[in-house]
Amino acid sequence: MDKWECLVCGYIYDPKEGDPDGGVEPGTAFEDLPDDWLCPDCGVGKDMFEKL
Amino acid sequence: MSTYAIIGGGVAGVTAARDLAEAAPSASDEIHIFNGEPYPYYPRPLLWKFIAGEVDDKEDLYFQPLSWYEEKGIQFHLDTHVVDLDPDHHRLTLESGDFIPYDRLLLATGARPFVPPVDGSNKEGVFALRSLDDAMAIKAYAGGVSKAVVIGGGLLGLETARALRDAGPEVHVIEIAEHLLPRQLDREGAQVLRGLLEGMGLELTTGAVVDAILGQDRAERVRTKHGRVFDGQLVLFSAGIRCRARLAQEAGLEVNRGAVVDEQMRTSAPDVFAAGDVAEFQGDIHGIIPAATDQAKVAAANMLQSGSAVYTGTLPTTTLKVAGAQVASLGEYNPDQADAAGGSSFRVVRRADVDRGFYRKFVIREGRVVGAILLNEPKRAAMARLLIDRGIDVSQHVDRLVDDDFDLRSLL
Repeated sequence: MDKWECLVCGYIYDPKEGDPDGGVEPGTAFEDLPDDWLCPDCGVGKDMFEKL
Repeated sequence: MSTYAIIGGGVAGVTAARDLAEAAPSASDEIHIFNGEPYPYYPRPLLWKFIAGEVDDKEDLYFQPLSWYEEKGIQFHLDTHVVDLDPDHHRLTLESGDFIPYDRLLLATGARPFVPPVDGSNKEGVFALRSLDDAMAIKAYAGGVSKAVVIGGGLLGLETARALRDAGPEVHVIEIAEHLLPRQLDREGAQVLRGLLEGMGLELTTGAVVDAILGQDRAERVRTKHGRVFDGQLVLFSAGIRCRARLAQEAGLEVNRGAVVDEQMRTSAPDVFAAGDVAEFQGDIHGIIPAATDQAKVAAANMLQSGSAVYTGTLPTTTLKVAGAQVASLGEYNPDQADAAGGSSFRVVRRADVDRGFYRKFVIREGRVVGAILLNEPKRAAMARLLIDRGIDVSQHVDRLVDDDFDLRSLL
């Protein structure tokens, strides 16, 4: 599974870690995140991410 | 075919370029970004990690390599300064003397740090942080000093203070307002944040105005109006921004504090748009990243097809990390101000705990959460954002929202 980087703040979503604070289990692919998931560091939406 | 030109390779410029590349109707369309800096786009929040020593290679700060832009059909011109804009002839002039014709233009020149007219601010060792070059100079200088003073306890000032602390020197922050993060927090929240920051080794003084930087040729101390003196061989101004609107002004565009735009992000000149820190919308320069990306998207849409998108404003929502503490200020989080303007009735529930280092505040209107401040509570912040965005009715649970054992997720 690919890592994705937030264009705005540089946060990297790592599917291995998920986003436990945001209710996303480790092992969740970026593509499977809910549409209204937001960057945990800066709060922008999924469309602001690019695959690394 | 059309040529889309973007001046500025920051977050607004790159966001617009990405949308243009995605939607550009023809393969013969050209998208150019003219960037004055000699680096491809880097997210500015990473500059703190760079100063703190968490990232050492500047290449690691770049969002994507230049090849990524090429693949998307975006020509990213580094170290390329636009010296003239001629809206009548749809033409730019570069420093090299080359002319660049365009069909649609986006001004995304951003802002520069504001350095107040303080005596001694031209001494060696005095900095402001905006660019990667600034960050490199600050990082190099910080290695040789024992004490630093940061002037400004807003979002950027605190992040930079924390990064400097990690880089070595002791850091003292001086804020003019009565509490820290005056734009993101209220008094109660700032009190909790202060405790957290002091725990990280930062020294903080609020309600103080710096009036001189003392020292021979180099900064050695900072003096306040009331005569207090703080040692600091590195002095960093973080006192707000000013638009970089000179190009727009010289081109005869309507410029107030920034380039004035309408709800389509159009400036007063045909086919010239503006977005981000350089744009003034309804008298406001937002100066925050979410506004820059929102505006860039609207601008890009209208550059592709006139009238296809409208900007209605950006809620002053910010999420940032200071000293490892997440500060989420969501929606209408300080209703006292909004109240006076709108006359609506709000209810506020809050809980502050300085010892445990958290702060929770919810603003409720007509049974729904319309604003929140969550300090050091990323889980609750994520839930609060969803409550606000989805407009969920919480009227049966208002009194319990800030309780330790209340699961916000149960409302979603």
